Amino acid sequence: MLASINRKLGLLIFIIAAVYLYLSFQLPNYEYAPIDADVIPKGLGILLLVLSVFLFFSRVVETDAEKEKRNIPKKELGVIAAVFAMIFVYILLFEAIGFIITTALFIFFCSWFLGYRAWKTNILVSLLFPIVMYAIFVFALGIVLPRGILPF
Amino acid sequence: MDAFQGLLTGFQVALSLEGIMFVLIGVVVGTLIGMMPGLGPISAIAIMIPITYGMDPAPALVMMAGVYYGAVFGGSTSSILLNAPGISGTVATAFDGYPMAQQGKAGKALAIAAISSFIGGTVSVVLLMLLAPALSSVAISFGPPAYFALMFMGLTAISSLSEGSTIKAMIAAVAGFMVVTIGIDPQTGTQRFTFGNVNLFDGFDFLIIALGLFAVAEVCMLILNRKNRSLSDDQKLGSLKLSKADLKEMSGPVSRQSFVGFLLGVLPGAGATIASFISYIFEKRIAKNPEEFGKGSIKGLAAPESSNNAATSGAFVPLLSLGIPGSGTTAVMLGAFLVLGVQPGPLLMTDRPEIFWGIIASMYLGNVFLLILNLPLIPYLAKILSIPRPLLISLVIMFSLIGVYSISFNVFDLYMLLVFGALGFAMRIFSFPAPPFILAFILGGMMEQAFRQSMTISNGSLSIFVDTPLPLSLLLVALVSLLVPAFLKWRSNRLAYKQR
Repeated sequence: MLASINRKLGLLIFIIAAVYLYLSFQLPNYEYAPIDADVIPKGLGILLLVLSVFLFFSRVVETDAEKEKRNIPKKELGVIAAVFAMIFVYILLFEAIGFIITTALFIFFCSWFLGYRAWKTNILVSLLFPIVMYAIFVFALGIVLPRGILPF
Repeated sequence: MDAFQGLLTGFQVALSLEGIMFVLIGVVVGTLIGMMPGLGPISAIAIMIPITYGMDPAPALVMMAGVYYGAVFGGSTSSILLNAPGISGTVATAFDGYPMAQQGKAGKALAIAAISSFIGGTVSVVLLMLLAPALSSVAISFGPPAYFALMFMGLTAISSLSEGSTIKAMIAAVAGFMVVTIGIDPQTGTQRFTFGNVNLFDGFDFLIIALGLFAVAEVCMLILNRKNRSLSDDQKLGSLKLSKADLKEMSGPVSRQSFVGFLLGVLPGAGATIASFISYIFEKRIAKNPEEFGKGSIKGLAAPESSNNAATSGAFVPLLSLGIPGSGTTAVMLGAFLVLGVQPGPLLMTDRPEIFWGIIASMYLGNVFLLILNLPLIPYLAKILSIPRPLLISLVIMFSLIGVYSISFNVFDLYMLLVFGALGFAMRIFSFPAPPFILAFILGGMMEQAFRQSMTISNGSLSIFVDTPLPLSLLLVALVSLLVPAFLKWRSNRLAYKQR
């Protein structure tokens, strides 16, 4: 029954719409507002519910190009997940250690991980980019980036 | 203020030392980012927004406009040299541009693209100058019902004209609207979907959505394609010189398609992508030798190039005069306006003439800069295409993170950037178009406000939308724009289904 990808997506979106709609009905009411804060969310929830049903029953055949796009090797998904994990660690350490050091480390290791082996250029870019960006933002634009453990 | 006087004001902004500098920075940065395969004007504008904090609105917006049309311009370079369009608006450019490059005529192709873009851009700036003030003066009389209907029409138009499934485009639009409802409702103070989390009280900043859905999602695609070719150093560009015969051949398509592109740019939903394809098909239909198209035809290159640049300026008409974006890119552009505290719309021309006319005047200047830059500097600019992909990926991630951090100084927003990046990637894999999402996100708040104002005026009766001719006709256009393409797609799908 869930053979086609549109059916699976339709079901997933149906569940999301149902949860959203449930939450919309929990919103408090004010007597004197002609149109309260819950009207639009309820309308959107119903609309999404209807659309998910349409998607579920649509007979649209996936084109080869669309199938191709979906056909990603597991290994590549792992690479993307790893990059996301690196970004996550970056955000985690960003304020504690500071912009320059975390950014330099991120650029170096992320580029290296993705297959960039010219390590001299890599080190140069990893050092120059955060320093130049820091200078532009902090000294020229007056936007404070986390200093972290560095003294400046 | 008449158009001529206004334009003088505009040129005072554009031709000041500051103005010239920012137009130049805008078009150069836009061209460079637009050239990189995968990165388009939306990412370019979003990445540049933090740089404008603390700047005066006029030079900042002049620069952002430069980034926008510079990126469209730059997209053609990677289309021609790599057959890897920087943006969807330059896909049609690759049809004939890349074969020309393979024949060793890359320089000539780039010169044709630059000249066609210049003419397309300039023609449409003239039309923009004539049309936008007229539309503004009409729009001043629009009440909330007409505004609501207008925004609704824009949203349905972009959903129905998106590539692929209309249902998926509509789902994307509804999802974008749903994200806007997160936060404290500005009219009643009710918390909606915040789960008591302080970080969600103000809702999401549009930059998180724009960078997540576009830049971070594009990073994921770049990771998948990281081993693809980049420009090798020994690729020959060839001469940039055009003969008289070449110029004569491109004159017809360029003069026609500049107008076609502009008109399609003004219409909500159409934009540079559709304009370039329609122009390409149009020229192929009327050409004496259509069999040359796709094999390096000058006409086939000139048509989409003049058209996509004309559409870019055309898209500024509804943005500047009505305050309503007609595409994903202009939605992000509207975000850039709002970040700087400028509300585009019918009052912009009278309240902030230096911004309204400054942007228009800067476009004349920007088009000249692009022509100057792109002809002699192309061999040098093209070097950016040889940046190794892994390094490019890390740097784009960094730009996105810095951009989001510098709006709120809140680490929570960085995590949200990751979440929307993952959502954007999933949307790409499963063929949900992202522009309807960002457009609904930008328009959603305004639509809800206009809807509630209308309902307050009418005491809760929906008839306010059909009682007067203007909102009624706009809603009817919306309905037609939704039903006709949906019907056509349904019919072609049914035929395909029957044939299987």
